[in-house]
Amino acid sequence: MTDAQVLARLQTIFDDTFLTPVTVTPELSAGDVGEWDSLTHISLMVAVERNFGVRFRVGEVEALRNVGQLARLIVTRLGEQ
Amino acid sequence: MPLNGSAADTAAGPLRAQLKTLLNTHDPAFWPRLRDASTSADDCADVLALSTLRRRALAQHPAPPDVFGRPLRIALIGGYSLFPLQELVTHLLAMDGHAPDLFTGRFDNDTAEILDANSELYRFRPDVVVMLPSHRRCAYTGALTDAIEDVRRQVDAVSGFLLDQCRRLHERSGAAIVLSNFALPSACDPGPFRTRTLASDWSFRKAVNLQLGLDAPAAVHICDTEFMACRRGTWASEDPRGWFESKQIGAPALLLDIAREVVRIVRALHTPPKKVLVLDLDNTLWGGVVGDDGVDGIDIGDTSPRGEAFKAFQTYVRSLTGRGVLLGVCSKNNPETAREPFERHPEMALRLDDFVAFTANWQPKSDNLRAMAARLQLGLDSFVFVDDNPAEIDIVRQYAPEVTTLLLGPDPSTYVRQLQDSRLFEPTSLTAEDSDRTRLYRTEAARQELQDSATDIEAFLSSLQMHVTIADVSTIDAPRVAQLINKSNQFNLTTRRRTEADVAALVGDAQMIAFSLRLADRFGDHGLIGVVIGRITDDEHGRALDIDTWLMSCRVLNRQVEHEALNELMRRAMARGCRVVRGRYLPTAKNGLVRDLLPRLGFTGAGESPDGHAYTCDVGTYRPHATHLHRTGTPQ
Repeated sequence: MTDAQVLARLQTIFDDTFLTPVTVTPELSAGDVGEWDSLTHISLMVAVERNFGVRFRVGEVEALRNVGQLARLIVTRLGEQ
Repeated sequence: MPLNGSAADTAAGPLRAQLKTLLNTHDPAFWPRLRDASTSADDCADVLALSTLRRRALAQHPAPPDVFGRPLRIALIGGYSLFPLQELVTHLLAMDGHAPDLFTGRFDNDTAEILDANSELYRFRPDVVVMLPSHRRCAYTGALTDAIEDVRRQVDAVSGFLLDQCRRLHERSGAAIVLSNFALPSACDPGPFRTRTLASDWSFRKAVNLQLGLDAPAAVHICDTEFMACRRGTWASEDPRGWFESKQIGAPALLLDIAREVVRIVRALHTPPKKVLVLDLDNTLWGGVVGDDGVDGIDIGDTSPRGEAFKAFQTYVRSLTGRGVLLGVCSKNNPETAREPFERHPEMALRLDDFVAFTANWQPKSDNLRAMAARLQLGLDSFVFVDDNPAEIDIVRQYAPEVTTLLLGPDPSTYVRQLQDSRLFEPTSLTAEDSDRTRLYRTEAARQELQDSATDIEAFLSSLQMHVTIADVSTIDAPRVAQLINKSNQFNLTTRRRTEADVAALVGDAQMIAFSLRLADRFGDHGLIGVVIGRITDDEHGRALDIDTWLMSCRVLNRQVEHEALNELMRRAMARGCRVVRGRYLPTAKNGLVRDLLPRLGFTGAGESPDGHAYTCDVGTYRPHATHLHRTGTPQ
């Protein structure tokens, strides 16, 4: 799976999670979205792990700075399977 | 943060989408749907998402008043990060009809928060404090091979310290305390040797948990995290990543278990427990239909696996009576047919005298349950009804919605577990009286049943074998007499209240006569049930006795006790040389019951006045009423 494919699938997860539409871009981060608080963050990360069938390692999610880095991490994990 | 690694998506997705639509269109159906979804959600992330929806909805509109009711100030403290547990607790409390106000302690700051009387925790004035002590404080510090006495001392020290903290917290804040115990470790190390020493984490935590439960005072409610983690699986309940990333108690699934348990404990604090378990018969207590298959054809007992399962269910149901649960039967059957297995079948674990109510007829079960509640004088909301037939359950849900229903199905081998996991009859504490409650209620129920079945009231009264004991009011009796005087409202001719000292002053007063009545019948002793007080006055017409007070307990209505009381009053009036007995009915909002008491007993009207209705009865022509009461004790 490519970064672009992962980003497209992330869009569907974001659509499911947020009430108001959010357009997924590699530069997008939590600070850009009003709804993206710590609670929503947990729901979002659970949904991502489920949807892609991956499990992040300790500290990895905290180190992410934007959605592009999240997509990269997903691609890396998927590649290891 | 806790993340759930499961690859499967939950079924809650479409439901959440539906809720989002309801929210965005301001549909009032949002709230009941949110509540249903929150009740059934079995995934932590789903509940968090539902909580987010609730917060959004509240930000848009104030919630309808029926959604959030009782205000509740609840504090969470402990040796963990309490986010997102606090969010789960808040959301589930809100969905359970509370208006929660939440305080969250700082990570691993619980000891200081409890010890400092000026801490934010106390300033918050919590109604409930949930305490989740860190498992790191529940470990033996010595070697695996240390002497067991040394380890025991540490077990006592750990549990003693925690319970002391709880006591202090309770004394200072008045709050109910919910104390979580410790989940057991899932790692294999140190192998089966863990069971051969008290020093392993496995054994040590078990010992501390046990000690906490055994020693906890009444104000401390144990949140049995050990049990919940075991039931879910210790391995699935742990979350090392969640611990290192954000000091989580365990896996998200365990957080949800804890949150739901906290809500259940809070609910139990102000909800009376269920008292009555009413059971269907056919395919609930035995296999088959006794009306069709006959008493010899039903499946019950140790001769077949299915019969054995039904018998196990009966045995468990019977064991509940030891916790103070009352049992009833509500069956669509002819009464004789329904009783036959209990009377004749040797394999039945339940017998007729295990039940306080037995209804077998063809009326709707909702009506039968209402009648049963009235007869036992218990609220319908303390009833649980169990049936294998969805149609019967549905009728009760519709027409007696106060009753909690449990639909059994479909495999009798799981009946015991279904009833146990309904969690409807969990004791919070047990007293010796609980195990005796069936007997107490059965006597009252038997009495009522006898009354229902007796067509001839005289035959009924005679069959009760009633004994009345009439005695002068004495100083020893004064507290009980005063209590009855001050609580009787309905059968009370004058509603004059008296203190214990007033009652004691009657004793030895030559102008006053005062006697009490006690009643016993073949079903039991009713104790003190009536008081009569009269005053003797002399005037130009001669001597008279004025009834000052005449009251009786409503439990003994229609037993001819009032007739016997009057017989005694007239006898005493005559002995004291009175020409006439004068009575007065002083109406109140509650004593309409005795408006016609005096005329009914043969008094004649002597006029009305603003303060009541006056009556007289001639002593010389009085003929004592015949009753079915046997007099015991010595008449004065």
